[in-house]
Amino acid sequence: MAAYEFIDHKFDVVVVGAGGSGLRAALGCAQAGLKTACVTKVFPTRSHTVAAQGGISASLGNMGEDDWRWHMYDTVKGSDWLGDQDAIEYLCRNAPAAVYELEHWGVPFSRTAEGKIYQRAFGGMTKNYGEAPIQRTCAAADRTGHAMLHTMYGQSLAHDTEFFIEYFALDLIMDEGVCRGVTAWKLDDGTLHRFQAQLVILATGGYGRAYFSATSAHTCTGDGGGMALRAGLPLQDMEFVQFHPTGIYGSGCLITEGARGEGGYLTNSEGERFMERYAPTVKDLAPRDMVSRAMTMEIREGRGVGPKKDHIFLHLDHLDPKILAERLPGISESAKIFAGVDVTKEPIPVLPTVHYNMGGIPTNFYSEVVTKAGKNPDQVVPGLMAVGEAACVSVHGANRLGSNSLIDLVVFGRSAALRAADTIKAGATQPELKPAMTDGHLARFDRFRNADGGTTTAALRLEMQMAMQEDAAVYRTSDALKSGVARMNAVNAKRPDLKVSDRSLVWNSDLMETLELDNLIGQALVTVTGAENRKESRGAHAHEDFPDRDDKTWMKHTLAWFDDATGKVKIDFRPVHDFTMTNEIAPFPPKARVY
Amino acid sequence: MGKPDFRTPMSRARGLGAAHHGAAEWLSNGLMAAALVPLTLWMVFAVLRLAQLDYYGAVQWIRSPVNVSLMVLTVVIAFAHMHHGMRVVIEDYVHQRLGKLGAVALSLFVSGLAGALTVFSILKVALGGA
Amino acid sequence: MVEFRLPRNSRITGGKHFPAPAGAGKVKTFKVYRYDPDSGQNPRWDTYDVDTSQCGPMVLDVLIHIKNTMDPTLTFRRSCREGICGSCAMNIAGRNTLACIHGHDECPGDKVAISPLPHMPVVKDLVPDLTLFYAQYASVEPWLHTETPEPQKEWRQSPEDREKLDGLYECILCACCSTSCPSYWWNQEKYLGPAALLHAYRWIIDSRDEATGERLDDLEDPFKLYRCHTIMNCAQVCPKGLNPAKAIAEVKKMLADRVV
Repeated sequence: MAAYEFIDHKFDVVVVGAGGSGLRAALGCAQAGLKTACVTKVFPTRSHTVAAQGGISASLGNMGEDDWRWHMYDTVKGSDWLGDQDAIEYLCRNAPAAVYELEHWGVPFSRTAEGKIYQRAFGGMTKNYGEAPIQRTCAAADRTGHAMLHTMYGQSLAHDTEFFIEYFALDLIMDEGVCRGVTAWKLDDGTLHRFQAQLVILATGGYGRAYFSATSAHTCTGDGGGMALRAGLPLQDMEFVQFHPTGIYGSGCLITEGARGEGGYLTNSEGERFMERYAPTVKDLAPRDMVSRAMTMEIREGRGVGPKKDHIFLHLDHLDPKILAERLPGISESAKIFAGVDVTKEPIPVLPTVHYNMGGIPTNFYSEVVTKAGKNPDQVVPGLMAVGEAACVSVHGANRLGSNSLIDLVVFGRSAALRAADTIKAGATQPELKPAMTDGHLARFDRFRNADGGTTTAALRLEMQMAMQEDAAVYRTSDALKSGVARMNAVNAKRPDLKVSDRSLVWNSDLMETLELDNLIGQALVTVTGAENRKESRGAHAHEDFPDRDDKTWMKHTLAWFDDATGKVKIDFRPVHDFTMTNEIAPFPPKARVY
Repeated sequence: MGKPDFRTPMSRARGLGAAHHGAAEWLSNGLMAAALVPLTLWMVFAVLRLAQLDYYGAVQWIRSPVNVSLMVLTVVIAFAHMHHGMRVVIEDYVHQRLGKLGAVALSLFVSGLAGALTVFSILKVALGGA
Repeated sequence: MVEFRLPRNSRITGGKHFPAPAGAGKVKTFKVYRYDPDSGQNPRWDTYDVDTSQCGPMVLDVLIHIKNTMDPTLTFRRSCREGICGSCAMNIAGRNTLACIHGHDECPGDKVAISPLPHMPVVKDLVPDLTLFYAQYASVEPWLHTETPEPQKEWRQSPEDREKLDGLYECILCACCSTSCPSYWWNQEKYLGPAALLHAYRWIIDSRDEATGERLDDLEDPFKLYRCHTIMNCAQVCPKGLNPAKAIAEVKKMLADRVV
């Protein structure tokens, strides 16, 4: 093995990732007087939060009466009762303050005539516990994530966060179950770095690129999840993968749910607004899992549109072009570029597309990473937190509601920072790092750098993506999932046969893609294994051989460990928190999920 | 490639800070440019007019207070504008301190000298004995 | 003095040629700038004969296809692939744009040249060093400055005042504009460039901001601001259809308003 030397850094907190949750956490830690580093593989404003369109949910009540309890009910119901109700209470209670904070930082929200933040309707958001759709989603046109991310990056420039940009995180430095830091590879000069910290906050986003067609960016490779698995930690509820109903047919680019929030609707080949059949109360504003299933069903039954009858139309052509220009300018542009469609005149061809990972690194509502140790299902992993899509708090349970992800980022980013301020002391002495803690990191890095097998990274990645796309889709069957597990095991077995052509260290994107693929494979494997294991249908996990929700057996979180050396997946469970955080609200007991 | 620069990007971006002027120059430059439009048109008219006259007729025409004033104004603004323009071009393309200062000074000198000579010549015609 | 030729070690030499596989459908040739900092060699043009029937419609799809099937060493930044993250800004057929939203059919000629954003130091292949660009953005203090105690809820802003931010806040910091601006080429150490100035104006015109005067003070400078000679390349290349030159003109107008 070539000799590698680390350049050392010491911080109180190291945040990995600079998307919405990473920036919010880093900002909060810096404000609390902690010496904070933010390590990110892309320039902060390139993080995938930038692509969020529709908005951020909070019961501000700017468009009529609203209540955080209603928001909480919707979120619990949206999660198909797999969400932890204490965490959901924390989320919905703190949502309004989090949005006002963003506004005070300068986010250019759209406005009502009274000068308040404009809010639009979104799927699954209702008033008075499910009565009718409500306008709860705060929007900056259809570029809310972009507006938020740029504003938060600007804000963090005003504070003392030190950014390490285009550093690719390799592995967590673990010391007998305690996280002591993270190692990273600096792309622009090829050096390796060791960031020591009292606390590491993983904010690395989802792993959408495990699938062939995803709205996710190329960089959404769930590097934090991969690192957690290698550190011997479990991932939670990975079988729940959200398909967004309206990805542009072909390219998979996102068309916001806000398009339906502003009055858009879906039609099949008969021109029928079929959602009226599937969700009579909220129609096109049903939660994403239901709309995606309805669309898949229509296509299966021969009512898809297009020459192959394999997609659905999204209509916006009945809306006032002025409204489209004001509230949906971004998707109008995307539809033009990627589908060649003028939204004022023609419908957009759309298809359910992988969009979000409800699963991730399990945490409590303080954002501390937890694992199951013996009988204790809430054992905190010292020195490690996770936030955002990388984490599974779990507020989204089996299905996330649209616009709940952006609020998740800032509320739990903030909660992580508050907890950090409470639990660690600025400048406290840290134990010395030993080479043994990072030898494995270097060995892995060197192994891939010099990988000289017969399978290119691109080929193996495609094999994984096709397996996931075909066998862990909107609808799943026992056979498909068995095949998926077998195919993913085969992919995993080919890892030693990978071939990297570029041996350099400066911006070696061939090596970076290989390390990302390695992160993806573990997560894809636990995803499909967890799905195969869950013999019920809940939220985004629609199992055709077990079409009903089974609360008696399956109202529990899946925990999945992955043994990197053997490729074995171990599955265990954690109970769902069916209790609330405070006494001010009673938990919502499970009931049938109809809209 | 140049020598390595170890200054931080922020130090480079901030540079020497803002000079806190430029607005007045920008405004005056714009005003001068705008003024030159009618003045140049008038100048074209004047040249056509002068070409039709004999020597004494031309001298008489120039001696008109309106004509001499307009002529001097045109020349002064044109040379000032020329210097301004040259200065911007020099600042754009010449980066060595001495070269830049020298070129700006030269521009000022040439514009000033040419302007002074032209104004003096006009006045000489306008005020000289017939 | 301004340089009209590349320095000796940056001059581009001929490179490798990658032919299309046998039986390829629609072949188009792409000439891509390659630079490997480890090699100590000059940059080179590699040419790739790409079977465009096998890849998606955009130039980014072509680059990914090359990386996946012809030459895994080719390096470029990319992320969202839908024109919102600004990673894949590069010069395609002589024009700065985002590879992900620029169709390869739109590229004129049968040999399409792809190079990094012009006049920036190159780290590797199509990856330019943008640290100065980012620092210039940071130098305009792109955050809301207020002194009045924050309200319990939001700062109120009328829809009309909010509309003034349209055409400004959408900037994705791809650097297409600044690196297409001759003024920025010659004076990037002193001129802030169109992107940073557009952002400066975005905060100046925000009705909630209370530091308009200080922001204008910091811009009033013959170089930082007035190096804009309204060449308009910025507006022409902006992949988001924004007009930085107009924003700069508005700043100049506001500064003039303080004088007369």
